[in-house]
Amino acid sequence: MTFAEQDGINLFIPKVYDIVWSLIILLVIAVFFYKFFMPKFQAVFDERTAKIEGGIAKAEQAQKDAAEAKAKYEAQLSTARVEAAKIRDDARAEASHIVADARARAEADAAQITANAQRSLKSQQQQAMVSLKGEVGALATALAGKILGAKLEDSAVQSSMIDSMLDDLDAKK
Amino acid sequence: MNDALFSGLTLAADGPEFPTVDDFLLPQIIFPGTPFAMDRIIMVRIIATAIMLVVLGVSAARAKLIPGRWQGAVEWVIEFVRDQIVYQVMGKERGRRYLPMITTMFFTILVFNLCGIIPGFNIAATATITMPLVFAGWCFVQYWVAGAREKGLGHFLKEELFPRGVPAPIYILLTPIQLLELLVIRPVSLTLRLFANMVAGHITVAVCLAATQWFLIEIPNKLWSILGIGTFAAGLVMTLFEILVAALQAFIFAMLTTAYINMSYPETE
Repeated sequence: MTFAEQDGINLFIPKVYDIVWSLIILLVIAVFFYKFFMPKFQAVFDERTAKIEGGIAKAEQAQKDAAEAKAKYEAQLSTARVEAAKIRDDARAEASHIVADARARAEADAAQITANAQRSLKSQQQQAMVSLKGEVGALATALAGKILGAKLEDSAVQSSMIDSMLDDLDAKK
Repeated sequence: MNDALFSGLTLAADGPEFPTVDDFLLPQIIFPGTPFAMDRIIMVRIIATAIMLVVLGVSAARAKLIPGRWQGAVEWVIEFVRDQIVYQVMGKERGRRYLPMITTMFFTILVFNLCGIIPGFNIAATATITMPLVFAGWCFVQYWVAGAREKGLGHFLKEELFPRGVPAPIYILLTPIQLLELLVIRPVSLTLRLFANMVAGHITVAVCLAATQWFLIEIPNKLWSILGIGTFAAGLVMTLFEILVAALQAFIFAMLTTAYINMSYPETE
């Protein structure tokens, strides 16, 4: 191993062909990394980041849409509720109105019917009274004629007799 | 060297075949004597490069939005370099420009270092001074360029060589040191740290395995074979340790390169 001591220094002396090959190889590798390897992986990284960020954005958008839809729905629901209450109130008011109307009309009708009835009753009573008066007169005349049997044909006597009789009747009553 | 086969045999007869510096100073096998000559380490380097480019190339070509296990692993390394080294030291703004460079360095040095424990290769592709030197040279160029671009060459040199807040006479001592730091110490320390680690790693593992071979198989007195178990266990542990060193050195190289480049930028924020 004596030659090793002499050769040791040669380890640290670059050889020309070694330099040539080192440079060629490094150039090839560097071109590969600069032109292909790094851009390719960078593209993959970028695409992945974009996808992830896009996904997050999409999720956020969806959440926002959902919240908007919910708010809209709730607003619609509350207006619907208010409207329903209003309709109910209106209906109730109208119903009481109708009832009041009907009652008033019925009362009016009833009053009219009552009035009519009373009126017709009164007229019938009068008619009855008039006809009664006539019939009673005739009856009494016939009766008196039969009783007196004679000269009561004269109308003046007849009428005065009836009147006096009626007066008697009235007075008796 | 002329009859390596013979010397191996004779050595085997009277002791373990321990590694020597000749493991790193190899005969030129292809195109000997030309600038394109290849020895064993260069062939390891070329094959490792081809394998790495094919594997990573296929991984990148098939990269999907939802990663599988392998793609996840590759992405983990890329993100480790990006977040733990480049962005950690430089921040995002500055670091983006250097991402491909540092990633290239980290992957390449890691793969080349790991060749040291891959059976068949058995030597790190970074185990000649040249490969670490080329990486260090790249770093060197980048921090000079960054300094010149960000501050202007004159201003960059003034700030580096005459740091503010130092009494004038100290500059006599400090300025040469700073100049040496910029021109020599940074690249050479990067180079030597990586190279020496790979050489030492190879020798450590090779010594353990050569001793195992000797004690278990070749030793005349079989009583000593018991030692072979210990050396084999040591070889196993050192091999695992080499995996750690391979990754650690790749990390340190990438980290220091990033730090050196970052020092060329003006100190803001």
